[in-house]
Amino acid sequence: MNKTILMPIVVLVVLGGLLAIPKFVDSPYALHMMILLFMSVMMGQSWNILGGYAGQHSVGHAAYFGVGAYTTMMLMHTKQIAPWYGVWAGIALVVVVALIIGSICFRLRGPYFVLASIAVAEILRLSAINLTTLTNGAEGILATELPAFKIGGNIITDFATKVPFYYIGLFLVALTIAVTYVVQHSKLGYFFQAIREDQDAAHSLGISISLYKNIALVISAVLTSLAGSFYGIYVGFVDPPTVLGLDVSVQIMLICIIGGMGTLWGPVLGSLVLVPLSEALRSNMITEALVKVGMVNAESKIGIFLKENLSHAHVLLYGILVVVVILFMPDGLMGFIKKLAKRRKQEAV
Amino acid sequence: MAILEIKNVSKFFGGLAANSDVSFSVEEGMIMGLIGPNGAGKTTLFNCITGYYPPSKGEILFDGRRMNGLDPDKVCMLGMVRTWQKVRPLAKLSVVDNVMVGALARTSSLKIARELAMEQIKVVRMEHRADFIAGGLPIGERKKLEVARALATQPKLLLLDEVMGGLNPAESEEIIQLILDIKKRGLTQMVIEHDMKAIMRISDRIVVLTSGEKLTEGSPQEVVSNPDVISAYLGEAHA
Amino acid sequence: MAVFMQSLISGILIGGVYALIGIGLTLIFGVMRVINFAHGDILMVGMYLTYIIFTMLGIDPFVSVLITFPLMFLFGGFLQKVFINRVLNALAQNQILLTIGLGLIMSNTVMLIFTSDYKILTTTYSSSTIQVGGGVSVSTPLLISFLITSAITAALYWFLLKTDTGQAIRATAQDRDAAQLMGINVKRMSIIAFGLGAALAGTAGALISPTYYIFPQVGGVFTLKAFVITVLGGMGSVVGATLGGILIGVTESMSAVYISSGWKDVIVFVLFLLVLLFKPSGLMGKSRT
Repeated sequence: MNKTILMPIVVLVVLGGLLAIPKFVDSPYALHMMILLFMSVMMGQSWNILGGYAGQHSVGHAAYFGVGAYTTMMLMHTKQIAPWYGVWAGIALVVVVALIIGSICFRLRGPYFVLASIAVAEILRLSAINLTTLTNGAEGILATELPAFKIGGNIITDFATKVPFYYIGLFLVALTIAVTYVVQHSKLGYFFQAIREDQDAAHSLGISISLYKNIALVISAVLTSLAGSFYGIYVGFVDPPTVLGLDVSVQIMLICIIGGMGTLWGPVLGSLVLVPLSEALRSNMITEALVKVGMVNAESKIGIFLKENLSHAHVLLYGILVVVVILFMPDGLMGFIKKLAKRRKQEAV
Repeated sequence: MAILEIKNVSKFFGGLAANSDVSFSVEEGMIMGLIGPNGAGKTTLFNCITGYYPPSKGEILFDGRRMNGLDPDKVCMLGMVRTWQKVRPLAKLSVVDNVMVGALARTSSLKIARELAMEQIKVVRMEHRADFIAGGLPIGERKKLEVARALATQPKLLLLDEVMGGLNPAESEEIIQLILDIKKRGLTQMVIEHDMKAIMRISDRIVVLTSGEKLTEGSPQEVVSNPDVISAYLGEAHA
Repeated sequence: MAVFMQSLISGILIGGVYALIGIGLTLIFGVMRVINFAHGDILMVGMYLTYIIFTMLGIDPFVSVLITFPLMFLFGGFLQKVFINRVLNALAQNQILLTIGLGLIMSNTVMLIFTSDYKILTTTYSSSTIQVGGGVSVSTPLLISFLITSAITAALYWFLLKTDTGQAIRATAQDRDAAQLMGINVKRMSIIAFGLGAALAGTAGALISPTYYIFPQVGGVFTLKAFVITVLGGMGSVVGATLGGILIGVTESMSAVYISSGWKDVIVFVLFLLVLLFKPSGLMGKSRT
């Protein structure tokens, strides 16, 4: 069947299915998992535009995530501004921040760019800790009471359940994927990839390097800040390490690396692997499964050790996954799948 | 009508004069050969002309317009494009995508860019390779790809830096024919080459550089019989 | 005046330890062109190693350097042979990501074994000070660690300048291909360089264990500081890293006293960005592309 007809149909079917899920699924835990999945795809896909397509491997994307999260939360907590207005302030601020960061970092290449991107994110994190009057410092901002969302006097939702968050998350992730798709199929996509492949060659072909790097950065930063704002209002709490820490930057990159950089579905694949795995670890699902199957005695030393510690091991998992992927699958899962497909094609011939 | 004027151009790297007081003009529609032993400053001159770095002294005029210090992308948009001594394919992109990057300098429509790209791919006779990933191409086709990509930017002046380097005689012959075809289209070309026979065949005029300075310029016959040129290449004994 | 001298001296003393960290990182970069993002986590491993030796064997942390140094050297060699060696010719970003991953594995394995609880290693002299005159006193453990640092640095300089292996390492750092053509086993040099780098980082960890909180995530901050130091001094320059370490130590100490301890790290990072932007080859480095 023709690929160009098949893809949109599949996408529509999946979208329809996702829209329908809350009607049939009651469990708040299942909805929570889906929301985590949406957030992960958003974070990975936003980074993908700058890192995967334009080849600028920022390890400081927490800066944009944190600006989005903090702006929305601060405005809601101190000025009672609803997040659907606050998010715009976050976007405006993150554009400014991104352009400043870009003007510093884009003069540097390779490892120096990476180091600078980390340094600026750390400066932001430390500033958030120190500027206590603005950000509440290390204590963070706790704001779990969301105002009701009204259109013309009618309350659409009061955010009492996870369902509205599900739909917001779905909308945002669809938006992010759509933006990536448009970029990929436009002049921007070509120029970004040219810069990634060979910056000097691209320059000599009429591409303004600083202009297009900054365009990629701004798009990436805005989408990341949206993810950050969404994270803030969903979780209800932000503090410097959670939204501005190096961990966050690494996690964002990981989703893309595992899934496959510079591809449309890479971050989706990466999220489909990372989110269930880390959740399984976090919630002791794996330990319980091993006990049920009889491989581990719940009372034994190993059993107790696993029960207590496996839930903290999801970051260890990230580390192992990074090492495995870099050594054996540097093009990520998408690259691996493409290789298999190629090999099958050749064998079939 | 001189499309490119090099006026007393010098380029210093610290104490080293890579180019020293070089002057010549390139007329529209001609093929100017640029030759000289290794280290003579030929690629340095190309880099100055295309904005990779500015000349330390002197002027570069393109269509009467001063080009000193303009960024490479502006140079390209004004009509000068170069190929690289060490080929630079956009390795992960296909051949047609590579050439489209060049075409997109003149249009924002992907559809038009693809048509323009396919035209240039046909010129270099690589239609059968259109969807091939550039990184997997052999050297001869990489060189052709680079020319096609440069042509897609619709230049007025094409600068070819050792485009025949590393090619076998059959491949070199193809490139020579390509250069002559490009000339028929009215494009001006400046060609750095070590292959003397090729340079003799294609050039209308030749500039000879040694140790950063212009040794002489003239028609191919004049240059090849010039004893200074011969000794520059082969040493005094052969002059 | 006493305050100024106090903070200057403290800065120099801690700067010595920073210098060790920086020298290790710059050796690794110089010989292999690898950016080791796990450097701080290797330091952390050294800290925990010292802690174990202290609590289980009762050996003083400064004395246990004699054990920690060789053990960390072997650990570094192992890391190079099994992991780093495979990405020597890969993209810079892949090298960085690999070392980030290794760092994550290190810090989280330690966390699984020891939990995130802050551990403190207290010796009899942990909080004692020595009067240096002029109303200035210095922390005893800091002084001892500086003396050890100086000894190690001196030994290292002697090794690099006077021994065959040391000169081979410097040759490999200058021009890997040329060194190989001269008969130097560059693969072996890489293993030694990474081993040395790890040993220096681990030893630095040992030296600061009496005065720093010990916890699994402590490495991250040191990795970044190590990079600031090596960039400041010039990537690949051992002398530069030495000077850079002292400079960063003094900057930090002064900032903590005259500005605020909360902002001292920000100042270090801002200094870092300034160096990257305006003199990327560092104080001593030559421009390498």
